[in-house]
Amino acid sequence: MLIEFTLNGKAASIESPPDISLLDMLRDFVGLTGTKESCGVGECGACSVILDGEIINSCMVLAPQVIGRKVVTIEGIAGPDEKLNDMQQNFIDYGAVQCGFCIPGMILAGEALLMKNPEPTRLEIREAISGNLCRCTGYQQIVDAIEVTAKQRLKKA
Amino acid sequence: MSSFDYVRPTSLAEAVELLNDQTYQNMPLAGGTDLMVYLHHEGPTYSRLVDISTLPDLKKISKKGQTITIGSGVTFTRVIENKTLQQDVSFLIQACRAIGSPQIRNGGTIGGNVANAAACADSLPVLVCLDASVHLLGPKGATREMPVSEFVLSPNETNINSGELITHFSFLAPPDGTRSAFIKLGRRNAQAISRLTMAVMVRIDSTGKIDFARVTPGAATPQTSRFTAAEEVLIGQKPGKVVYEKAAKQVSETMIEVTGRRWSTEYKEPAIQALTVRALQKALDDTP
Repeated sequence: MLIEFTLNGKAASIESPPDISLLDMLRDFVGLTGTKESCGVGECGACSVILDGEIINSCMVLAPQVIGRKVVTIEGIAGPDEKLNDMQQNFIDYGAVQCGFCIPGMILAGEALLMKNPEPTRLEIREAISGNLCRCTGYQQIVDAIEVTAKQRLKKA
Repeated sequence: MSSFDYVRPTSLAEAVELLNDQTYQNMPLAGGTDLMVYLHHEGPTYSRLVDISTLPDLKKISKKGQTITIGSGVTFTRVIENKTLQQDVSFLIQACRAIGSPQIRNGGTIGGNVANAAACADSLPVLVCLDASVHLLGPKGATREMPVSEFVLSPNETNINSGELITHFSFLAPPDGTRSAFIKLGRRNAQAISRLTMAVMVRIDSTGKIDFARVTPGAATPQTSRFTAAEEVLIGQKPGKVVYEKAAKQVSETMIEVTGRRWSTEYKEPAIQALTVRALQKALDDTP
């Protein structure tokens, strides 16, 4: 079926079967492989995307459920010149990335938090990424990177 | 060929009509947080999903007089953010905050939590504690209403008829001065399945005695219900650890009356007692 929605700020029309997840549609029918599949059952957050302004697991959304709605993936947060955005750069600078598999989901969880709450406490950051599992870093550097991004954005604003 | 079809109704009436179309085996789809897991593990046992996740009629939260209504399609996040619910039923907020992760709470709905009726459903003991009713819409506009405690029969089994849809829940706001608390026992804070939960409401009268008490454990018995014997232990007493412990003992006795002694009872008996005491302390001793 034809799935028309807004993907990373642009109108998208994707011919996709109706019985697959948003995750599978993004990876296999759109070709955006930044969204990762790990557990496939909503426990790890690797497949997180932002749907109508809220972080969700794309493995738990049926592809046609996004018709007429707005989806932002990790590919959608970079600047127009396709350079890393400030959050992505801070993840690198603060050592928040090791194997990298959880990072697209982590960064989107961070972005979704800052959209709702531009000045989060460390506890609020930890809550915001509590649906995203990272087996490498121990999370501290990830929290640091999101916290620094929030502070830098507030200064600029 | 796809294994099932998808359809998105634009009104409640159309949704029920689609659910009753006998050409398909229909299943409503809301947050997908249970259904998509089932699909992943088991594959489809239906031939069409009816997507009710964007129906505005199911997304309302209202208070008229003392009656509070929550649409079945309200996500846990919307419950948590709602000012009326924060004010009147703080333990429902606590229960919804204990569910899954931000991702799950942004998708999952209160109607789905009750319809799926998992033993560990966190909103269930709170709704039962509130004596909430579930409202159903069936074919030809037929409506039904029954207590949530009678609607959920046992884990994953409810009183819903085929082709019926949960539209909303309603309950009376707790009397003025009521304090409430919800406590969950899980293996970690985020993403944990509840092993046991406890929902309580209590009020102290002008003489310093408890004059209103409701106690509802979750995941303790197959059918979630108020433990009235424990409530009676509390009523007329001054709050304090001794009376909380008496009520807690009554809670574990009632649980064992229902379930019998099983392999897990040795663990659950002290655990549910501790949860009862802590929930009552959280409701009464913490500053509101």
